[in-house]
Formats: sequence, structure tokens, C-alpha cells
Amino acid sequence: MAHALGLDIGSGYSKAVICENGVLHSFAVLPSGGDYKGAARRVTDMALQGANLSFNDIVRTVATGYGSSMVDFADHFATDIACHAAGIHHLFPLVRTVIDVGAQFSKAIRVDEAGRATYFLLNEKCAGGSGKFLQIVARILHITIDDIGPLSLTATKPVEFTTACAVFAESEAVSRIAEGALPADILAGVHKAMASKIVNLVTRVGLMPDCAVTGGGAKDAGLVKAIEAELASPVTVADEPQITAALGAALIGAEQAATGKR
Amino acid sequence: MAEDKKPRSLATQAAAKIAKFVRGNMSATLKAKEEGKKVAYAYINDGQDEIMRAMDIVPAWGESFAGVCAAKRDAEKYLQKAEADNFSRSLCTYATCTIGFDMWREELNGQTPPDAPWGGMARPDMIIGSAQQLCDPRFKWPQATQHYLQDVPVFVGNMYYPPWDPKRDHHEQEAIYVKYAKAELLELVRFCEKHTGKKMDWDRLAGLVDLTEKTWNLFIDTYELRKAIPTPMDTGDAMNTMVPITFNLATQDAYDYYKGLYDELIQKNEKKQGVIENEKYRLLWGAGLPSWFALGDFQYFNDKGAVFPAEVTYRNAEKLERLDLPATNDPLERIAWRWVRFWTHWYDKARKRPGSSPKVERIIEYIEDYKCDGVVFHSAFSCRSWHAGIIHQAEVLRKIYGDIPILIMEGDIVDISSYNEVDTHNRIDAFIETVDAYKAKRS
Repeated sequence: MAHALGLDIGSGYSKAVICENGVLHSFAVLPSGGDYKGAARRVTDMALQGANLSFNDIVRTVATGYGSSMVDFADHFATDIACHAAGIHHLFPLVRTVIDVGAQFSKAIRVDEAGRATYFLLNEKCAGGSGKFLQIVARILHITIDDIGPLSLTATKPVEFTTACAVFAESEAVSRIAEGALPADILAGVHKAMASKIVNLVTRVGLMPDCAVTGGGAKDAGLVKAIEAELASPVTVADEPQITAALGAALIGAEQAATGKR
Repeated sequence: MAEDKKPRSLATQAAAKIAKFVRGNMSATLKAKEEGKKVAYAYINDGQDEIMRAMDIVPAWGESFAGVCAAKRDAEKYLQKAEADNFSRSLCTYATCTIGFDMWREELNGQTPPDAPWGGMARPDMIIGSAQQLCDPRFKWPQATQHYLQDVPVFVGNMYYPPWDPKRDHHEQEAIYVKYAKAELLELVRFCEKHTGKKMDWDRLAGLVDLTEKTWNLFIDTYELRKAIPTPMDTGDAMNTMVPITFNLATQDAYDYYKGLYDELIQKNEKKQGVIENEKYRLLWGAGLPSWFALGDFQYFNDKGAVFPAEVTYRNAEKLERLDLPATNDPLERIAWRWVRFWTHWYDKARKRPGSSPKVERIIEYIEDYKCDGVVFHSAFSCRSWHAGIIHQAEVLRKIYGDIPILIMEGDIVDISSYNEVDTHNRIDAFIETVDAYKAKRS
């Protein structure tokens, strides 16, 4: 059995996927913290444990993500754009547009019929359209990141944010709380502001169906709903959207192992 | 304290000579003051070079000084100085860097601030600005500078050209714009005469106009040698070799420089000596000023097998025969026609392709002439007058020209706080993958 390990060491979370002959075998996710190197080792151990394997069983390791350069046991480094494209193509071969909402960046990626990225855009160097924005708001609302989606879906009167800047939006959210706005309505407003920025990227790369949302942001049902509303088009979300790039990395590793390509 | 950064390795010997050229331009301003010559703050690509040179005015280029500060990663002290007087970081950082330097020098009663990169620039005797249509700091920068240098006279001319309108034949308007530009140039001559106490030598000016046009022709002949596969020189070098045509136009030195570069590229082409050994991808630098503090990124592209045989940036010249200029014995009228026709000579071509625009047409011309596989834009946040159009250009290009890979990099020209090397390199890596996929699909 040929096992390939894919690691996506993101600024927010580290993800590991083990594929066996091109099929997802096990995965693990944990917060990256400040120690990318340690996070890569820990998340690898977790995935290996889940698969009941040892590192010696891994024929190839491919790393991607913001902290990938710290993975000193990787055989190969791939870009997260290529990994998202490969991962989503494996899961949904008809997808031609990928929206990745990561902690640091959001990206819009066009993918061809072979699962190759053909064009991509990232949000500006600003947290306004990225998962970081959600983390900031979750902190001031004293809720966990996992609570954001379900809570936001109960909103009845979404708050209109006058800014799409995460820093200013933080103070604006505090002001709205002081005015009595409900957390659900604040979250729905945040989702709307984020979706607007994200869909702007999608428009610029050119929306081509099917469209999928990946990354940690895709686990937020409220954000996905806001993106669909802004796009006026349905989107596809995988069962575990956060591991798409790690899956792509593992698949790239598996292919490299199979073809002997380095 | 400036942070030293290993400079990019250059492909041509000519590019390696540029530091001396730039340093010479800056020290010429200091020497001019000792010799009693007049020094003017000047701004690039405004059609005023021949007039300044004919009047023996020594130009002090703020854009060059700020670029040097940025390349040495030593601009922050000037940016902070300007910021302390309420100049926003989102303003042109060429302007704010130079204004910060000016403020500091005034505080020192005209003495050059300590540790100024390459000795700094001399205090000017006049400021000669020109408002291009596209660059609002061309108006505001001289005005803001005069706020600190209150005894220094300012001239800001207006060098306009017909705006692009696909429904209108700009040739009908050209003569009006030429007349206006000529009048502005004549005003500049009067301003220079007043502040130098000398009369214009019109024959000398005509000779310098001829020299400029010879240099333009030679410059384009030289750059077109880069069409060769492998290309003998790429944009990493061109960000150096642009200095003579940008800052030393209407001088014999500029002409001689390009003669040397021409000979060098001919030799390289004969030996099939490229920028890199295995040229895999040919890219066009589609628009945008570079991050002067991160020119090493061109090396990063090179390391990935990518070269830039052409760039729009700083290619502010054209073969004169392609501009089809009307005959005239009046040097000012000649400059004015050259000015208007340079900016409008892609209009006819753009009109023939529905949905196109002159800037995009120029990009398409270079993609095809230089056989490029992808286009890179650099959006520098503080240069909004140019960079505001980059996203639009990229979108129009994809719409009318197909799915050629495009990368839009983000940063600034001077402000290093805008730059993230890891992020930039990640984007380049991903872009190279898309170029690879594009090439595979086409073959």
C-alpha cells in the first residue's frame, strides 16, 4: 500500500491528510499556534495514529501553506493554489471556481478540467475578507469560532457594517453591542461584509460553475449562505472543507510517488 | 539604520554601470551648486528634458532619489518625517520620501541631512513640474514642496493629450492638444529664462531635440533585440537600464550608453546567451512601477525559469517613424507632436478591436512581439494614478485576448511596510504553475 502525506500548515490551522492509493485514509486538524514546525509534527502524528501507520509507511510527503517552509521532513513543497485545485478536483470534478476562505487570505481560483489552477486572485493585504475577521469578531462576542455559523443563521436584522476593514469593524462591532445589537445580527452583518469582498474576487476571476467553497471559512454555514446570496448562485461545500489543500497535497504526493516525478 | 539586502545579479554589464550613472546624477546637483549653476527639481517623462538641458539647468530627480532610498531600504526616516507633518502614507511615496528629505534639510538650514543615501540632492533653485493627465502628484508635489522651500519658484505645466474615446477619432483633436502643449513648453522656456537670466539658444534646443530622437530610436532598436529566444536581457536589468532615457535624455551620455548596451546585446544574441540557461517561461511586465526594495524578486522569477523579455514600465520611447510626426522646424512644436503621438499611437489599433483600450493593445502587441506566456502587473498602493487602472487592464486583457495567465502583485515603490516576501514568493510560485498549465494546454 502506498501512503502519501499532505500537510497544509496554515497561519490559523495545520491540517494533515494521508491518502492510500489516491483515496483519503485519515486526516487531522489542529491550531498552528506560533510553532509551525511543532504543529506540523503533531498534526502528522495525529493523522498517522488515526490511520494506524508509522512515518516509515509514508512514501512521499508534500507540504503547503503559509508555514510549509518549516516542515523539515517534507519531500516536496507545493503552492496552496495548486493544492486547492487538486483537492477540489478530486472531490468534485465538475468544479471550475474555488473560493478558499483561509485564516489569512481569501482566494478565488479558476480550475480547468484537469484540476489545474488557471487563474487566481487573493484578497488585498487586509483581514477584511479572510477568516481572521471572523476570529476577531468571535473574540469580542465571547463565542467560539464553531458557534458563529449556527448563531448567525438565527439573525433577523443583520447589522450593516459601514466598513469592510477588520480593524475598524472590530470597534464598530463593539459600538453596536453597546447599542444593543444582537450577536446573531452582528455576525450576519460580518458575513455580508466578508461575502461582498470575496465575491468581488470571484467576479474578477470570472465565475464559472460549479463553484465550491473551501478552507476553514467554509465550515461557517452563515458565511456560505452569505456568499451564495451575494453570488446569486449555489456553491458546493465538502464534508471537511478545511482539509482540501492538505488533500490536494497528499494527492500530488501520491502522483509523484506513482510516476517517480520529483 | 538601513538594512542591507543582497543586490540582484544583473545579466548585462551595461546594467551594472547604472549605479554610477545614478550617483553621478545626484552628485551633479551638489557640484552644480558649487559651480553656481542652477538646479531644478524635475519629474520624469514630461517632455521638458531638452529645454532644461538647453538652458544648462541641472535636474534633481525626486523619483530617482526616492528610488535610491527605497533600494537601499533607507526611506523610512523620510517617510516618517513627512508623515509627522500629516502627509498620509497613501500618498505617492516618491513625493513623501522627497518631501521628508526637504523638510529635514530645511531644519538644518540647507545642510544635507546626515547619512543621506549617496549624498542626497542639492537644494533646488527652481521646481519644474508637469501635470501629466495620469499623475495627480505632478500638481501637488511641487506645491507641497514649495510649502517648505518658500523662496523657490515653481512652474507646473500641463502636457495633455487627447483622452481615449473609442467612438471618437483623436486625430481630429491632435492639433489642438499640440498647440496647447507647445504653449505650455514656451511658458516653461520663459520661466527658465527668467530664473537663469539667460536667453534660450533655439539652435541648441533643436540640436538636443534631434539627439533625443536619435536616442529614442536607438533605445527601441536595443530593446527589440530582447525579442531573441533566449532573451539576452530582462526586466530585472531594464529597471536599471531605464535610467539614461528617463533621467539623462537629451545628453550624449544617454545615447552612448544605449550604443554600448546595443553592442552588448548583439554579442549575447550571437552567442545565444540568455538571462538564464534554461528559459522556460517568457513573461511581460504589463504595468506598474517595481518595489525598488525588492528587485531581487526578478531573480526569484529567473530561478523558476521565467524571464521578462519586455515591459511597459519605463518604455517611454518609440521609433520615430512609427509616430509619423508632421515636419516642422520649430523644436517646441516637434516636442509637442512627439508627446501627443507617443501617448496616442495605440489608439487606432485599439479602435479596431472591440472592447480594447490603448493600454491593453500595447500589452497585446508586446505579448505577441516578444512571444510571452503570461503577464505580471505590480500594483503599488501609493501610486494610485497608475495602479487604479491595473485591475481593469487585466480584466480587459482576459476578456478580449483569452485566458493568458495574469499575476497581480501588490506592494509599493518605496514603502517597505507594504511588502511581504513570503506572500509575494507564494504568489509567484502559484503563478508559474498556471503559466506551466497554460503552456501545456497550448502545446
